[in-house]
Amino acid sequence: MAKKSLEVEAEVEVEDEGDAAQFKMPVDSDHKATEFWLFSFAKPHMRAFHLSWFSFFCCFVSSFAAPPLLPVIRDNLSLTTTDIGNAGIASVSGAVFARLAMGTACDLVGPRLASASLILITTPAVYCSSLIDSATGFLLVRFFTGFSLATFVSTQFWMSSMFSPPKVGLANGVAGGWGNMGGGATQLIMPLVYELIKKIGSTNFIAWRIAFFIPGVMQTCSAIAVLMFGQDMPDGNYNKLHKAGEKHKDNFSEVFKHAVTNYRGWILALTYGYCFGVELTIDNIIAQYFYDRFGVNISKAGTIAASFGLENIVSRPGGGLFSDYLSKFFGMRGRLWGLWVVQTLGGIFCVILGRTNSLAGSIVVLLLFSLFCQAACGLTFGVVPFVSRRSLGLISGMGGGGGNVGAVLTQLIFFHNSKYSTEDGIFYMGIMILVCTLPIALIHFPQWGGMLCGPKPGYTPEDYYQSEWSHHEQQKGYHTASLRFAENSVREGGRSARGSGHSKHTVPVETSPTDV
Amino acid sequence: MAGLRLSKTTIALLLLIVCHVGPSMAVLFSQLPKTLIVTATTKSGDVLHAGEDKFTVTWALNTSLPAGADANYKTVKVLLCYAPVSQHDRKWRKSNNDLKKDKTCQFTVVKQDYSATGKHEYTVARDIPTASYFVRAYALDASDTKVAFGQTTDANKTSNIFDIVGITGRTTGIFVSAIVFSAFSGVALAFFYVVENKKKK
Repeated sequence: MAKKSLEVEAEVEVEDEGDAAQFKMPVDSDHKATEFWLFSFAKPHMRAFHLSWFSFFCCFVSSFAAPPLLPVIRDNLSLTTTDIGNAGIASVSGAVFARLAMGTACDLVGPRLASASLILITTPAVYCSSLIDSATGFLLVRFFTGFSLATFVSTQFWMSSMFSPPKVGLANGVAGGWGNMGGGATQLIMPLVYELIKKIGSTNFIAWRIAFFIPGVMQTCSAIAVLMFGQDMPDGNYNKLHKAGEKHKDNFSEVFKHAVTNYRGWILALTYGYCFGVELTIDNIIAQYFYDRFGVNISKAGTIAASFGLENIVSRPGGGLFSDYLSKFFGMRGRLWGLWVVQTLGGIFCVILGRTNSLAGSIVVLLLFSLFCQAACGLTFGVVPFVSRRSLGLISGMGGGGGNVGAVLTQLIFFHNSKYSTEDGIFYMGIMILVCTLPIALIHFPQWGGMLCGPKPGYTPEDYYQSEWSHHEQQKGYHTASLRFAENSVREGGRSARGSGHSKHTVPVETSPTDV
Repeated sequence: MAGLRLSKTTIALLLLIVCHVGPSMAVLFSQLPKTLIVTATTKSGDVLHAGEDKFTVTWALNTSLPAGADANYKTVKVLLCYAPVSQHDRKWRKSNNDLKKDKTCQFTVVKQDYSATGKHEYTVARDIPTASYFVRAYALDASDTKVAFGQTTDANKTSNIFDIVGITGRTTGIFVSAIVFSAFSGVALAFFYVVENKKKK
C-alpha cells in the first residue's frame, strides 16, 4: 500500500522524483517526512528532531533547576516564602513574550538560528545563578533563565516544517514531551549533582552554586550542536533558500496581521494555558504540597514531583499520536473532539486531587491527572500547525505564550498567598480547567468543520491557506509553500474527504481507487 | 523446649511493640520543665562569622531544684535556634509545640553525656545560614526523648538574640568560571553569526 502511494506520487509529480531520492526517509511533495523513525538520526528530519527536543530539554532543566535545591538556596540567600513565590512566577512569566517573539523570529529567520540564539543569550543567566546573593538576584536569574522556555515554539515550528501533516502531531508531541520532561529530570539531576559535589568536599553553600554549571554547560553545548548540525527545512537553511529565491522572505507586519486576526490562535492560546500552564504550576508547587500535607521527606517529595514531569516521556507523545490517529478516521473534527475530551478529563482529575486525603490516593490521582493534562498538550499541537501556514511561527508562539500566561495566572490566583490552602487551590484550578476548555467547541475550520458543525461545502484547504496571501502576493508566487501544505493536509477532511477528490492537485493514497 | 522458645519470641515481639509505643507519644514543648540554666558568651546584638568566630556555651542544673530532679537525664544536646525575626514568612523554620514537628532549632552545637554542669567552645560551622539566633539545651533520657530544657533567651525569645553571618559561598573560582563560561556563550553566538553572514554573501 505504501509502495503504491510512492509510485502514484512519483508518476504525477515528475519534478520531485529526483529531489525526493536525496532523502533517506520517505517524503511528501513539500519534502517533509511522512514517517517518524524515533531511533534514527537521518538527515535532516530525524536529526532536526533530536537536536530540537534535546536543546528544549536542557532549557527546561535550567529553568526548573532551582526548586529541588531550594532548601539550601533559601538558607544561603535568607529567602522568605514570598521571595520564593515571586521567583516562581517570574520563572514562567519571562517566556510569555519570549514565546511570541520566538514565533516571529522563526517565521523570519528560521528555527535553527532563532532557537540557538535564544539559548546562547540566556545561558549567562544560568551561569550567573551561581553568583547571586539576594532575593532580588534570585528573582532576576530565574526570570531571565525562564526566557529559554521559548524554545518550545521553535521546537514545534521546526517539527511542523520537517514532518508531514499525518505525522506532525506525533513529532510535535514527542519533541514537546521529551523537552518538558526536563522539568522532571532536573528534580533528580540537581540534587544528585549537589550531593556528589558535597561528597567531594564542598560546603553546602558552595556546592549548590557549582551544581548550576551542569545545566549551563548542557545548554551551551546543545545550542552549538543546533548551529553546527541543524537545518531549518528539508531543503536547506532559510538564508540559502532566500538567496536561491526558493523561499520568499516574508515581512513582519503581514505575518503579525494574519496571526492576530485568526481567532483560532487566541482560543488555543487560552486552552493551552489550562493544560501546559497547569503543568508548569504543578512543577513549581507539587513537591512542597506532598512535603507539607502528607509529611513525606524532601527526597520522597522530589521523587513524586519528578514522576509528574517524567511522565511526559509517553503522555505528551501519546497525545500527539492520538491526535494523528483520530485524524485518520475523523479528520480535524476528530482532533478537536479528542483535545476537548482529554483536557476535560485532566480537569476532572485535578478537581479530584484537591479533594483526595490519602497519600497513596493522591499519588494515583496525580499520575492520572498528569497523563491527561500532558496528553492534552500533545493534542493541542496536533491542531496548531493547521491554523495558519503563513504565520505558523507566531501562532505557535501565541499558543505557547498562552501556556505561560496560564501558569502565571494560576500561581497568582491560587498559590501565591495564604488565601487558599494548597489543596483548595488545586480543586479550584481543576474547575478553572473545565471552564476554560469549553471554548474549543468554538473552533471551526471552514474546510474541515469544528466540534459542533461540519465543513462549508465546496471550501478547500487551498482556499483557506491561500486566503492568507493577497492577490498581488499570489501573482508573485509567494504562496506556493502554503499550497503544497494544503495538498498534504487533505487527510484532515477525514474519511468523508476521500473519494470526493477535494484537492485540485495530487491526492495521497487514501483517495486512490480501491480496485487493484 | 520448642514451646518455650516460641513464647520467648512472643515476649521479645511484645517488648518491641511496647518500647515503640512509649517514645512515639508526642512530646510537647509547653510541658517540658525548664530545669537547665544556659548561658553563652555572646551578647545581644553580637555578630559572628561562620567558619571563623567562636563562642562558649555553659549549662548547669538549676540548684534550687530538689535533689534527684535530673535522675533520668542521660545526654545533653545543645542547639542553635532561630529567633522569631528569622522565622517570619519562612514556613520551614516554624516553631511547633509538638517537638517532632518543631523546626526552630536546626543546628547541633554539641551532644554529650549529661553532667550537672558543662561547657563547650563552639566554632560556628560553615553551613550555618545568615540569621538571628539563641541557644537552647535539651536534656535527653536513655531513650533519646527530650525531658527538660534551658535556653539563653526568655520565653518570648526576644532577649539575648545574636546574629550569625553565613558564608556567601561565592568563591573566586566560581566567580571566574561564571564570567568565562558566559563570555564563551556570547563569543560562540557571535562566531556563528559571522559565519552565517559570510554564507549570505
